[in-house]
Amino acid sequence: MVAPPDNDVLWARALHFSYDDGSPALSGVSLGVQEGEVLAVIGPRGSGKTALLRCLSGLSKARRGEVWFNSVPVHTMGPVARERLRRDRFAWVDPTPALVPELNVWENTALPLMLRGTSRRRARTAALEWLERLDVGEAARKRPHQLVQAERQRVCIARALAPSPMVLFADEPTAPLHRSDRTQVLRTLTTAARSHGVTVVLASHDADTAVLADRTVALLDGRRVNTVHLPPVPEAEGRAACSLSA
Amino acid sequence: MLALRLTRGGRPAVQLRRLLVAAGSAGTGFLLLSALGYAMSHPDSPAASSLRLAWCVPPLAATIHLAVAVARTDPGTKPRPGLAAIGLGPARLMLVSATTTALSCTLGSMLALLVFLHLRGDLTGMPFDGAAAQFLAADSPLPLPAALTLLALTPGVASGVVAVTLRPKGIGTSGPYGRFGVRSSQARPAGGRAAVAAPVPQRGGTPQARAAEPIPAPAETDGTPSTPGHTTDGMPDPLTPRPAPRALPWGITLLTAGLAVETYASRAGAAHTTLTLPSALPTGPAGVLLGWILTALGLALAAPGLVHLCGRLLQSVRPGPLRLLAGRGLMAEATRIGRPLGVVCAVASAAYAMAPLSADRASATVGPLSTLAAIVITGCTVATLVISAVEARQARADTTAALLRLGAPTSMLRRAAALRVGALLAVFGPLTLIVAELAALPLAN
Repeated sequence: MVAPPDNDVLWARALHFSYDDGSPALSGVSLGVQEGEVLAVIGPRGSGKTALLRCLSGLSKARRGEVWFNSVPVHTMGPVARERLRRDRFAWVDPTPALVPELNVWENTALPLMLRGTSRRRARTAALEWLERLDVGEAARKRPHQLVQAERQRVCIARALAPSPMVLFADEPTAPLHRSDRTQVLRTLTTAARSHGVTVVLASHDADTAVLADRTVALLDGRRVNTVHLPPVPEAEGRAACSLSA
Repeated sequence: MLALRLTRGGRPAVQLRRLLVAAGSAGTGFLLLSALGYAMSHPDSPAASSLRLAWCVPPLAATIHLAVAVARTDPGTKPRPGLAAIGLGPARLMLVSATTTALSCTLGSMLALLVFLHLRGDLTGMPFDGAAAQFLAADSPLPLPAALTLLALTPGVASGVVAVTLRPKGIGTSGPYGRFGVRSSQARPAGGRAAVAAPVPQRGGTPQARAAEPIPAPAETDGTPSTPGHTTDGMPDPLTPRPAPRALPWGITLLTAGLAVETYASRAGAAHTTLTLPSALPTGPAGVLLGWILTALGLALAAPGLVHLCGRLLQSVRPGPLRLLAGRGLMAEATRIGRPLGVVCAVASAAYAMAPLSADRASATVGPLSTLAAIVITGCTVATLVISAVEARQARADTTAALLRLGAPTSMLRRAAALRVGALLAVFGPLTLIVAELAALPLAN
């Protein structure tokens, strides 16, 4: 077992992961995430981005390989320890906003803080501050079903940032949004994370995301590649050429 | 055929639920046939026979209640994106649901007919041949049309009610509640908040499936208003909350009116006609029975509101995450849990009220048919409550998964569930006892 480099807050070596049905997701991915950086994991759909994020955050257990967080092995932890790690150190943003429907917006945002044992009043103050920062402050007393999707996603990001996690995992946070909303959500996410020193691991199938990130890691079919360079699609494959002279 | 294929592919728990429906239907069918047997052996007393037939209504209602709950939670006939894509939308699945229900109920009815014929002595070769030959009028031939009509009652009514309950939104507007208890209202401003009704994609099993989900499109186009809380393909929107139950005042009114009617009838009705009930059921004026029915109805109507109130109290006064999740969850599920809970409470209070009265009349003993009816009623109502709880749990599976991704401890979610159950027991246990005591008071004197 090799000790990880000291300056990496998150470090993975030779991760292998396959889903329950046996379909392979990751085959030997290694990467290191430095403290405070925004790392974009880029790749087309089905390239193993979500699996990588789940393994790094301890949501799934890798079949083989190591994950270290601040020199603590995550891959040997039991489910309870991983749960505590996720609660106290990590935050997660889903592709579609997964809010608790019966809580209102500020309660949703304050929930991770309250789960950590923060008092209700302090959790509420922090939640309202973050909602204000992410431009959904006026919706604080509304229920999630009264918001539009982009607002819900911003609430999710506020919920992830409010407990000031060490690492924020964002799994395609802009998948269900239009381009204008997409840019705004990503920009607010990265700006807020940078100003508070939160490390961000951002999965995206959109290569434009790389502009907002400090560093980019490309995945293709569960392997790390230097550039996602697929062969160009041949024009009109299989279509009979139609020509008057033939 | 599709209904059969979908039925066969179910998991054991689902098959068990369908078997419960079949068992309930069998019990009800046997009770109906026994009423027929009684009428055949006592042709000179039509009043007593029709009273016995009328006493078959509670088991029938309980069976249908159970059948509807099972059909609602049946994963095989739930609207699914895959089936909707090949044209099996909610309308066709409603028919599949109704067919499945009819299938299970017919199975039960057939079983009831077999047992009935066997006990009459028409079918031989097994123990207890003709054990109840005299009671079931074995000497007179069985009128086949009558027997078949009675046996077709449960499957027919059950599948009809299932079809009406699960009908897709927009087909009929007769009932205010549709699938999953969503109140339908077409009075929505067009546009504006169209994105509220935008379909939130169901979470797929694998991340690949999830990544391929469509971008939600506005569900509302001009001319075809969609129902709030439902996506265009008939699946419920998990975010839209059900409206809070409003029947609490009506329920309390009915409950108190029932108790008042009962007391009044027992005071004034000594001179009136007394209704002699079969077996060891208590005998009293007809007004008392009317009062009991009103009381039970009131209890069932008031229960969703009481559950909502319970949740509201649980999450009041600066709640932490535990009380917040428990209370709000209870408020959100008030309608779903409250109705069957109210029915169970009504049945429990009826049983509690009847037990001492029946014990007083030592002359009559509780007959096997009354026992069967009691088993059918309690079994069906309790099973309905359990299935509704399972349905609520299924509906909240997405939320639970999201909470677990946040790092919410599993132990806390369990404690929240236990808190909910405890709060419900604390409210509904004493309520049932009080109602039962009050209901038994007039007859005990």
